[in-house]
Amino acid sequence: MDRNQIGKWLKNPGKMANKYSFHVVYFCTGCGIIEVPPSITTRWDAERFGIIPVATPRQANLFLITGYVSTKTLAAIIRTYEQMPEPKYTVAFGSCPINGGMYYDSYNTITSLDKYIPVDGYIAGCMPRPEAIFIGVTHLWKLIDMDKADGYKRYREDYVHYRANQEQILGELDWPPLFSKENL
Amino acid sequence: MRELKLYFGPQHLGMVGNFSITLQVEGDRIIKAESNPGYLHRGFEKLMEQRTWIQNFPLVCRINVVEPDHMELIYSMGVEKLAGIEVPERGKYIRSIFCEMARVASHLFGAWAYANMLGFDTVANWAMYHRDLLLDMFEELTGARVYHIYLRPGGVRRDFPDGFTDRLVKTLHKIGGKVPDYNATFFENRLFQKRAEGIGIVTRKEAMRMGAVGHTLKATGLKYDIRKIEPYAAYDHVDFNIPTRTGGDAYSRLLTIRDDMIESVHMIFKLIDKMPKTGEVYTKTPNPFKWKIPAGEAYVRCESARGELGLYMVSNGGTNPYRVHFNTPSFNNGLTVLEKALEGESISDVGNIMISLYVVAPEIDR
Amino acid sequence: MINELKQKLLANFNDVQVNIPEDNRMTVNTKKESLLSLVSYLKNMGYNHFAMLSCVDWIDDKEFELIYIISAYPQDDEHYQDKEKKNILLKTRISRVKAKFITIISIFENAEPYEREIHEMFGIHFEGHPRLTPLMLERDYKIPPFRKDFDTNKYVENTFGKVPSIKERKEGKK
Repeated sequence: MDRNQIGKWLKNPGKMANKYSFHVVYFCTGCGIIEVPPSITTRWDAERFGIIPVATPRQANLFLITGYVSTKTLAAIIRTYEQMPEPKYTVAFGSCPINGGMYYDSYNTITSLDKYIPVDGYIAGCMPRPEAIFIGVTHLWKLIDMDKADGYKRYREDYVHYRANQEQILGELDWPPLFSKENL
Repeated sequence: MRELKLYFGPQHLGMVGNFSITLQVEGDRIIKAESNPGYLHRGFEKLMEQRTWIQNFPLVCRINVVEPDHMELIYSMGVEKLAGIEVPERGKYIRSIFCEMARVASHLFGAWAYANMLGFDTVANWAMYHRDLLLDMFEELTGARVYHIYLRPGGVRRDFPDGFTDRLVKTLHKIGGKVPDYNATFFENRLFQKRAEGIGIVTRKEAMRMGAVGHTLKATGLKYDIRKIEPYAAYDHVDFNIPTRTGGDAYSRLLTIRDDMIESVHMIFKLIDKMPKTGEVYTKTPNPFKWKIPAGEAYVRCESARGELGLYMVSNGGTNPYRVHFNTPSFNNGLTVLEKALEGESISDVGNIMISLYVVAPEIDR
Repeated sequence: MINELKQKLLANFNDVQVNIPEDNRMTVNTKKESLLSLVSYLKNMGYNHFAMLSCVDWIDDKEFELIYIISAYPQDDEHYQDKEKKNILLKTRISRVKAKFITIISIFENAEPYEREIHEMFGIHFEGHPRLTPLMLERDYKIPPFRKDFDTNKYVENTFGKVPSIKERKEGKK
């Protein structure tokens, strides 16, 4: 461990532990997933950054949205995201979730993801290389240090608006709201 | 016992890709399975009608993430057939070598998926590492790791760099040297054998009835391979075998995939030996912005790593295609064969059977 | 060999036009009534692999063209014959208004997902199909998306483009 960080660890152990143990949801939302297996295996070894994929969203705190999001997947993404315990971070991977990418005129993929769920960071490129994932993650560390990775807080605050946007695209949602007026 | 409806995927550890299956189960036994694709549908065939012939190349390779190269190949072959372009001899050889490299990389990815899903993590790590070595070769050749956009109508984008074939042979030898270890720890391991033998049996009669292609068919002993039946690129210049098994179960399918990979490596060596040392690698095509292809239709097919890949293309004489329709091997294997193969199996074998049928979700959805 | 098949088809069916544009490809244009019997005839001839079903929207003619591509599996384990090299493209045209056709599942089982896809993307109803439920799409499109009069740019603008960002929502934009 870095000696300089001992102070930080003593001051805010929860945040530091959270930061250095990203548990990624195992969900292949798009073609970007092709670069995740190389990065979690021996060649690039994401575990040195504390990244490890887990089976269920209930154990995870990082959601890598790997590539374009079709409307059918969007429903699955929202449900998965809502099941994750807080604090949770979302990183959109690839060009497509930013503005639609090369599928800007596709009738079945949404153009910008942050209208439906909060996104803490973007990794641009098609495909981003494994190094780009690591750079993205180290940037996310900095954001967490500065308390700027506040996507889950924004989701809680603006839940009404997010839900309205989700309903505008997906129609009537068949699951109850995550936050009702009482538990906000 | 009570019947339950179980949703398997898309967020599931045993599921490779964004795909889901609705299972009707009684206890642990599957009574009925229903594939539910569409999570990756982008409407490629519609988008391609709105882009010019050359602009479509970045799109086609994204249809199948695991092996984009055969998608480029089939689209180039379609355009060539419609426009009447010939590929120079050296270009043909380079295409074949490139596609065989893609096949090996794709099979290594398949080995990763299979081993990872069953918990053979050591083998999974090896397979992914070896695939990465091949991706380095792709990167040297084309500049990109995953989506290469290297093939084009009339040939390939550029010639091999100096000494590329030597480095490729060295890499392949490095991977091939590991095959005994793969066999000992994975393919011929008793643990794995017990897990994969006798599940998801598709007999030859059933496979032919359900229109199966690729390894599903080869594992029942039928040598259905477009490279032999209707040779394209440089496959008619080399001599190669089509590995088959007779079991028809998941284990035979995986062994067919392994043997196919080894055969591909040998084929690359043969192709490199036979390749003309110099010569053009592409035929000049007109200005892509003004390129109009005469009206007509074409049906071309090739053998991708997953089986017969077809493309039906119609041109109405304009700058864009009028209609493009890909017939991908996973479409058949994932929607017809998978549903039948899962019946009567246990829930724990769903991922096992699905990967052995070599289903890739984006190929189904397109 | 391919000419033999042409002669046989012309002798047995009176409303077919057979073309051989190149080696190993044969296009058969036929009326929609005789397509089913043509498909089962070819299957009995040994063309037992249904490769794909495609559809082209000829909007100027106000017609859909259905293309059934059929080839053959090798019969022998060791040797290939000429038969496997051939691809037969059966074509038939149906009206674009209230488009419907008959399913061929009883002849080729694997036509099922193809017909389902064509039903979803072009809105052609296949009579006798056991499950014409949506395959890939979940949204309702007024015009099936693969038809030529479906304008994707306009559609994207009107649906995904109309969704306000969260900031705009907060400011009261609907």
